Amino acid sequence: MSEVVAMRRRTMPGSTTIALLAVFAVFVLLFLAGVGFGSTWIGLDTVTGVLLGGGDRTDRLVVLQLRLPRVLAAAIAGGAIAYAGYLLQRITRNELASPGVLGVVDGAALGVVLFLAIFSNESNALTVPVAWQPLAAALGAMTAIGLVFLLSGRQASSAIRLILFGIAIAAVAKALTTIFMLIGPIYQAAQAARWLAGAVNTINWSEVQIMLMVLVPVGIVAGIAARNLPPADLDDASSRSIGLNLPVYRIIMFLLAALLTAGAVAFAGGVGFVGLIAPHMARLLVGRGRMAGIVMSILLGAIILVGADLLIRVAFAPLEVPAGTVTAVIGAPYFLYLLMRKDNSNG
Amino acid sequence: MTSMVEGMSRPVQADRSRWPVYAALALGLCVAMLASLTLGYKLYGLDKVWAALFAHDGSETATVIAGLRLPRALIAPLAGAALGMAGVMVQTLSRNRIASPDTLGLNAGASMAVVLAMVVFGVGSLGGLSLAAAIGALLTSIIVFGVAAGAGGLSPLKIVLVGVTFAGLAHAVVEIVLTSNEAQLQQLLFWLSGAFVDRPISLFFNGLPVVLVGAALAFTLTSALDALQADDATAASLGVPLLAVRGLTFVAVSLLTGAAVSMAGPVAFVGLVVPHAARGLVGLRHRHQLAAAALVGAIYTTLADVAARFVIYPVEAPVGAITAVVGAGTLVVLLMRRLA
Repeated sequence: MSEVVAMRRRTMPGSTTIALLAVFAVFVLLFLAGVGFGSTWIGLDTVTGVLLGGGDRTDRLVVLQLRLPRVLAAAIAGGAIAYAGYLLQRITRNELASPGVLGVVDGAALGVVLFLAIFSNESNALTVPVAWQPLAAALGAMTAIGLVFLLSGRQASSAIRLILFGIAIAAVAKALTTIFMLIGPIYQAAQAARWLAGAVNTINWSEVQIMLMVLVPVGIVAGIAARNLPPADLDDASSRSIGLNLPVYRIIMFLLAALLTAGAVAFAGGVGFVGLIAPHMARLLVGRGRMAGIVMSILLGAIILVGADLLIRVAFAPLEVPAGTVTAVIGAPYFLYLLMRKDNSNG
Repeated sequence: MTSMVEGMSRPVQADRSRWPVYAALALGLCVAMLASLTLGYKLYGLDKVWAALFAHDGSETATVIAGLRLPRALIAPLAGAALGMAGVMVQTLSRNRIASPDTLGLNAGASMAVVLAMVVFGVGSLGGLSLAAAIGALLTSIIVFGVAAGAGGLSPLKIVLVGVTFAGLAHAVVEIVLTSNEAQLQQLLFWLSGAFVDRPISLFFNGLPVVLVGAALAFTLTSALDALQADDATAASLGVPLLAVRGLTFVAVSLLTGAAVSMAGPVAFVGLVVPHAARGLVGLRHRHQLAAAALVGAIYTTLADVAARFVIYPVEAPVGAITAVVGAGTLVVLLMRRLA
C-alpha cells in the first residue's frame, strides 16, 4: 500500500513543494506582520532589521520584549496543536478527530487549573517553578486521552466511540475545571478564566523557552514515529495484518499527540478548533503524504493562531480578546461545513 | 430499541399503577423545596421559616428566608421542570438518548441571544430577555437540526457533534462580547453563571407563564410524540403531520429552554439526565414521560441547589457546576451502555 502513496507523491512532487514553499512564505510574512503591527506600528523593514540585529532602542524593546514572545508562542502553540490534530486524524482515520473533540485540550486545561490551585500562595505567586506547568498539563492531557481510550474498550478503533467518549470526558473536565476555579483564590480564577479561553498576550520569553524545550523533542519523536503511520487508504484490519497501527503503536501515538497538545495548552490555553481544521486544510493542499502533511499542518496551525492574534490586536485594540475565541469563530463554521459536505462517519 | 418496544407493549392498565410514583415525586418535591428554605449557611427550623414567610418585618430571618431563600426555592424547581421536559422532547425528536438542550447547543444559543440582546440591542427588561433566550434557543435548534440533517442524517454522532460545535461558537461570541463590554460584564455574568442564587423573585413570575405555555404545548403533542418514537414512516402512517409536529415541538422546547436560561442561566445537563430517570419510572408514553420529567427535573435542580451551598462550604458553588459533573458522568455511563 505504501506504493500507492509513493506513486501519488511521485506524480506531483513539484506541486507539493510549491504549496509548502508558498505557505511558508505566507507564514513568514504573517509572522513579521504579527511582530510589527499593534498599538505601536513598526514597518516590516524595521522588524526585519531588528530581528537581524539592527534597529534603535525603542524598536528593539517593542519587537524583542513585547511582540516577539507572544507571536512566537502563538506560532509554536498553533503548530503543536495542529500537529497533534494531524496525528489523531491519521490514527483514528477520521477527519473529525482533534485534540479538542477527544477531550485532550480540556484535560490539559484541568491539569493546569489544578496546578495553579494547589501550588499558589496567598499573593497568587507560584510556590514551585513555572516550568512544572507543562508537566501538569501533560498529566491532565494524558489522563483524558487514556480515559477516552479505556472507556472505548476493545473497539477503540471505532472513531465514533472515541469521539463520543471524548466529548463526554471533555464535559467532565470542563465541569471539574469550573469547580476548582471556584475553590482557588478569586484573582487567580479571573486569570485562569482568561487563560482558559486561549490567550497568548501575557506570554514571556521564559515561557516560550519552556514551550520549545518541551515541544521540540516531543515533535521530533512524534515525527519519527509517524513514519509508521498506516497509509490513509488502508483500512484497520489490513493495516494490522501488515504490522501497522497495532494497539501499542496507537497508544503511543495518542500519548504523543496528548503531549504536543499539553505543551501548547500549558501556556497558550484552550485554543479551539486549530487542531481540527489545520490538518484538514493541509490535506487539501498537499494530499496524503505523511511528512508533507505534518509540515503543512504545523505551518497552517501557526498561521491560524498568529493570524488570530494579529486580528485581535488590529481589530479589537486596546481590548485583549482571547485568541481562542477568534479561532473558534472561524473554526466552528468551517467544521460545520466539513460535517455537511459529506458523510464522514466512517468508524 | 428493545427497551422502547418493551415500554410500548406495557399493558394500558399500568396507567393506574403510576399514581404512587407521582405521589412519591410530588412528596419529594415538597421535601426538596422545604430543604431549600431551611438549609444553607444558616439553618432555620420549619416554624421559623413559616413565620418569616409572612412576617415582612425586615428582621434578618425574614430577609434571608423571604428575600433570598424563597426565590431560589421557586426558581430552581421551575427551571428544572422546564429543562426536564425539554430534554424529553429533544431526545424523542432526534431519536437520540444522549441528546439534550446542552449537547445540542440550545443552552449556549439561548445564552448568546441574551448577551447579544443586552449588549447590541440594549434590551433591559426581563420579558425582553426571556423572549431573546427563547428565540435564541429556537434559532439554534433550527440551525443544529438543519446542519445535522444536511450532513447525512440525524445520527447520534452527527447531531451531537454539530450541537457541541455550535455551542463552542456561541461561547466564543459570548466571550468576545464580554471582553469588549466591561461595563456590562457584571450584569452579564449574572446570567451566565448558571446558578439560582441572588435571583430576584420577579424572574420567577416572569418565567412561569412561559414555562406554562411551553408545557401546555408539549402536552397537546404527546400522542404525536409517542408515534414519532418509532420511525417517520410509522408515524406518518398513523396520520401524524410530521413537519407540523416537529415544528411545534421545536417551539415548545425553545420556550422551555429559553425560560430556564433566562431565569437561571445555562444549568448544565439537566435535560440530559432527567429524561432517563423519568423513563425508568413511568415508561415511554409521553404523557407520563413529560409529567415525570417535570417532577424529577424540579426535584433534581432543587436538591442540586441545596447541595451547591455545602459542596465548598462556606462558599457557594454555582449549581451549574454540580449538575455538569453529575451530567457529564451520566453521559459517560450512557455511552458505555448504549455502545457496549
